[in-house]
Amino acid sequence: MSTNCVIVEDLQVAAEYTRKCCEKSGMLEVKGHFTNVPDALQFLNSTTIDILFLDVEMPGATGFDLLDQLGYSPRVILTTSKPEYAYNAFEYKVVDFLKKPFTYQRFLEALQRAIAQEDNGGAVNGESDNHIFIKSDGKLVRLNNEDILYIESMGDYVKFVTADKKYITHNTIKALEEKVNKACFMKVHRSYIINLTKIDDIRENDLFIKGTEIPISKAHKQDVLRRLNII
Amino acid sequence: MRNQAEHNTFIFNNEIDRDLLFSLYEDDFPYIEEIFSITLSQIKPDISQLLTAFEAGNTQELRRATHKLKPSFGFVGLPAMQEQCRQFESECSVATSVDSLTPSFRKLVAGLDASVILLESEYQKLKEFNQP
Repeated sequence: MSTNCVIVEDLQVAAEYTRKCCEKSGMLEVKGHFTNVPDALQFLNSTTIDILFLDVEMPGATGFDLLDQLGYSPRVILTTSKPEYAYNAFEYKVVDFLKKPFTYQRFLEALQRAIAQEDNGGAVNGESDNHIFIKSDGKLVRLNNEDILYIESMGDYVKFVTADKKYITHNTIKALEEKVNKACFMKVHRSYIINLTKIDDIRENDLFIKGTEIPISKAHKQDVLRRLNII
Repeated sequence: MRNQAEHNTFIFNNEIDRDLLFSLYEDDFPYIEEIFSITLSQIKPDISQLLTAFEAGNTQELRRATHKLKPSFGFVGLPAMQEQCRQFESECSVATSVDSLTPSFRKLVAGLDASVILLESEYQKLKEFNQP
């Protein structure tokens, strides 16, 4: 599956070159190119993207203004001709900083950094241990581990259930099993990952969380019991 | 369609940094032609904006217009022009009026005019070269 991206750049030749680099990489799908911040924001706040190639100085507003107003945090690769912005880039935790004009090789290095961060669930220095971000309704929503009761499979989608809300997102239990914090979460059935701290009681081959009955498969039952503090 | 060996015979004007162009586009001459075309169509209005900002005595607009022009020259193998823009942009950042910028501005405009002529000439050569 390709990673999607958007180019925000007012210099036409730079935008065209960046688009060509994206195409050449074979790893990116360019969802759009915008020459100013308001147009980019309108698109980005209705469509979640993975990587943002962002110029800094544009007419009316800067790339940093865009990041301030964006409702989620894509991986950002700054493309600018002014190295003085490196400090701001650090402050905004951008993945990389490409000085125009940049070579394709340099572009690939930046892209690999962005993808490596993506594979790490967007984690920066282990900050994601106590929370995750999920894509839901066109935005990235932060869910603290302590708020998640369980995660249920719905075919190609999964449902994150908290005490007061349910979030449906495109994912699988199998993929999530690798990404969630294993200290809190555990797969108990092919269709369920549960928060171990939320179990109210266990009866035979089912466990209960806030009144919801969740099956425990035979393959997982011993592991579940081992993880509980049984006196 | 020309073969690889024929492509490699294209000779850029000495003012153009051929190594820089090849580091960006390798020997994709049709693409280099496209880049030159896009750049020429963009820098002309950008230079007009620069001139307008100077006439209006607006140093901030002058800085912005220079900043926008600056990387264009890198993409077409004119890093010295890019550097000249960078220096002028720095001068604009600290200038309180355009008066103190006049000598540098005139030098910059002369450089810009010469660059446009050079790019137009190289673009025509590339067009002819890339013709089947």
